[in-house]
Amino acid sequence: MSVRRRELLLGGAALGAGALASRIPGGAGAGAAETGTAPTGSLAAAIPFDGTHQAGILEQRPNRTIVASFDSIATSRGELAGGLRTISERARALTAGFDALFGPTGQGPTPDSGIVGPRVDPDGLTVTVGLGASLFDRRYGLAGRRPTGLKPMPTFPDDALVAGECHGDVLLQLCANTEETLLHALRDISRETRGVLGPRWKIEGFLPSPQRESGAGRNLLGFKDGTSNPDVGNERTMAELVWTGSEEPPWARGGTYAAVRIIRNRVEFWDRVSLSEQELMIGRDKAKGAPLGTDRELADPDYPADPEGKRIPLDAHIRLARPRTPDTEASRILRRSYNYSRGYDEADQLDMGLVFVSFQRNLETQFEAVQKRLEGEPLVDYIVPTGGGYFFLPPGARGGQDWVGSALFV
Amino acid sequence: MKIRLTVLIALLVGPASVALAGCGAVAGTTAQPPAPKLADRVLASGTNPAVKPADLARPIALYKRHVAAELGTMEDDVRRLQGAVDAGDLEGARQAWLDADSSYESIGAAYGAFGELDLRIDGETAGLPGGAASPDFTGLHRIELALFGRGSVADAEPYVPRLAADVRALRRKVPGLRIEALEYVLRAHEVFEGALDLQLSGRAGPWSSDALVALASNLRGTRVVIGTLRPLIDPREPLLSGRIDRSLDALAKTLRGLAGPGGAMPRWDHLPAAEKTLVSGQTAAAAEELAYVPEVVDPRPLVPERSAIAEVQAE
Repeated sequence: MSVRRRELLLGGAALGAGALASRIPGGAGAGAAETGTAPTGSLAAAIPFDGTHQAGILEQRPNRTIVASFDSIATSRGELAGGLRTISERARALTAGFDALFGPTGQGPTPDSGIVGPRVDPDGLTVTVGLGASLFDRRYGLAGRRPTGLKPMPTFPDDALVAGECHGDVLLQLCANTEETLLHALRDISRETRGVLGPRWKIEGFLPSPQRESGAGRNLLGFKDGTSNPDVGNERTMAELVWTGSEEPPWARGGTYAAVRIIRNRVEFWDRVSLSEQELMIGRDKAKGAPLGTDRELADPDYPADPEGKRIPLDAHIRLARPRTPDTEASRILRRSYNYSRGYDEADQLDMGLVFVSFQRNLETQFEAVQKRLEGEPLVDYIVPTGGGYFFLPPGARGGQDWVGSALFV
Repeated sequence: MKIRLTVLIALLVGPASVALAGCGAVAGTTAQPPAPKLADRVLASGTNPAVKPADLARPIALYKRHVAAELGTMEDDVRRLQGAVDAGDLEGARQAWLDADSSYESIGAAYGAFGELDLRIDGETAGLPGGAASPDFTGLHRIELALFGRGSVADAEPYVPRLAADVRALRRKVPGLRIEALEYVLRAHEVFEGALDLQLSGRAGPWSSDALVALASNLRGTRVVIGTLRPLIDPREPLLSGRIDRSLDALAKTLRGLAGPGGAMPRWDHLPAAEKTLVSGQTAAAAEELAYVPEVVDPRPLVPERSAIAEVQAE
C-alpha cells in the first residue's frame, strides 16, 4: 500500500540539488534553437514545433518513434480543447529544449522526470498531433466539423486487426534521435494531460543506423524500404500529394491525413524462404536494393520494357504499389515508417514488423488505392496488419499562444 | 490547460532556492524558451510559517476518529458476514464482505500504523510462499477467495471469527495509534497511488473484482484526509484544495454514473475498456493534484540548502 517515498525524498534531495547547481553555468543556453545549424542526429538538432504545417511529416526521420493513440476522457468540449492546447504548449517547449531544474523538496512534486538529465535537449524531437474520426462524434459537438476525408480505418481483406491497437480520438507521433528523449516527452505530455487523454495503444519504432548503409533503411524483412518516396523538397508535389486544400473546410487546409498501420512481419517464416523467391515477391535485389534488372537502388524500373513481368513480376510488391503509369502517379503516398519489435507471440514466434505511417492528401484516392492494388499480393502470407488507424493532422500552430487544432474550437 | 500552482518555494526552503530558481531563468539565453516546469510556478508572497509536526496533531486526531468509526462499521459488516455464513447464505455473505472491504479501504491513510494487524486483516497472496495455499493467508482476501472464487460459504467459515477478532483488536488500538506527521501528509496522494497500483490493475480483489468499490472508499477516505489538512493547505496554497476538489468530484461523478440500482458497483473486470480508461485517467489526474499536498504541508524541518549555494558560488 504505502509508497516508500520518504527515503527517496530524503536521500535524493541533496544529491539532486548539488547535481543541478554544478551544471547551471555554461551548460544551459547551449541550445540549438537559436543556431539552427546543429547537425541532424545531434542532441542540439531542433525542429521548430510551429509552422504552416506540422513538423514530423516532411522531415527526414530521426532514428526513433513512439506512436501513441489516446481516447479523450474529457467531460466537456472546453476540457478537450484545454488538453489539446496543453499538448502544443508542452511540445513547443520540449522540441526547443529547456533546463529541467531539480529543486530541493518543498516545491511540489518533481517538476521533471529527469530521465534526460538537467538539460532537456531538443534531440530532433517532433510532436505531431492527429485527430481520429471518433473525436467528431456527438460528445463534443464537433460532428459538423469533421474534415471531409476523415473516416475510421476500414478492415482490409488481408487484415487481422486487434481491437486494442486500432483507432483512437487523438494520435501523437513522437520522433527523435534517442529513445530517452521520446520517453521523456511522452511522460511530460501524459502527466499534463492525464485527465483528458486516456491511453488506447502505443507502439515504439526504430530505424537502422544511418552509418550502416546509404539510401533507404531496411525493414525487418531485410529489404530497403522507402526508396521511391515523393520528393519532400518539391513544394508543388507536396501540395498535390500531401497537404489538404480547398476540398476541406478552411480550418482543415494545410493539414494532411495519416494512415498508421501496425504490420506484423512473419519474420521466421520469411527467413525460411529462398532469397530469389523473396526478391521476386518484393521486386528488388535484396543486397543492393536495386529494382530487379537494374544495378542501383535509385534506378527506375522500366515496366513498359517488361510487360509480362519477366524481370519484375506483375504481382511484385513494388510494381503493385507504384506501377508508374500516368493514371496511378496521383495515388503516390509519403511513407515515413519505422520498424518495431516487441516480444514473442503465443506460438513463441518473434513479434516484429513495421509501424507503417503514410501521409496523403486523400486517404481513398491515395492510401486505399495503393492498398487495393496490393490486395492478395504474394507478400501477404508474410505480413499481418494488426492495428493502426486513420487520423487527420491539422495544420501547424502559428506560434505564440496558438496550438494545433485551435481553429476547430473557434 | 493547467494553471500552475503557486508554491511557497521561498518559505519552505529559504532564500537559496530563490537563488536557484533565479539561476534557472538566467541560465537560458534570450533565444531559449522559458523553462516551463519550474519557472512558471509563481513564488507566492505569503507569510505563512512552515508547517511544524505539531500542526498535524489535530488533523491526525480527527482522522483517527474517522478510522475508529469505520472500524466500528466494519465490525458490524463482519458480524453480518458471520450471520450469512452461518445461514449458508452466499449472496448475503458476499454483500457483507464487500461492505467490510469497503470500510477497510476507506482508512488507507492509516495502514502504516496498523502493523501486523493490517497484514492479518488485509494481507494478499503476493509475497506469501505458496500463495493462496499459505497458512498465513487468512484475512479478508482469504474469505474473498472462498466466497467469490470458490462460491463456498463453508470454505470461508474458519476465517470469519479470526477476522472479527482482528478488526475488534484494531479498533481498540486506534486511540493509541501513532501516525507520523510526515506519513500522514504523504498519504494524501498515496492512497490513490495504491488504488492505481493494486485496485485498478486488478491485483487486489482478484476474485471479487471489487476495484470500483475499493476506489470509491479510497476516494471517501482521501476526502477525509484533505478535509483535515485544509486549514493548513488553504493559507499556504489557496488554489490547491479547489483543484483537488474538482478532480475528486469528477471521479466521484463517474463512479456514481457506474453504480447500479442501490449503489451496487459493477465488477471491474466486466467494465468496458472505455470506462476503465475514464476511471483510471481521472484517478491518475486526481493523484497529480493530490501530490502537491505533502509538499505544501511538509512538516519536516527545513533541508539545509548548503550544497546548492556552495556549488553555485564555486562556479
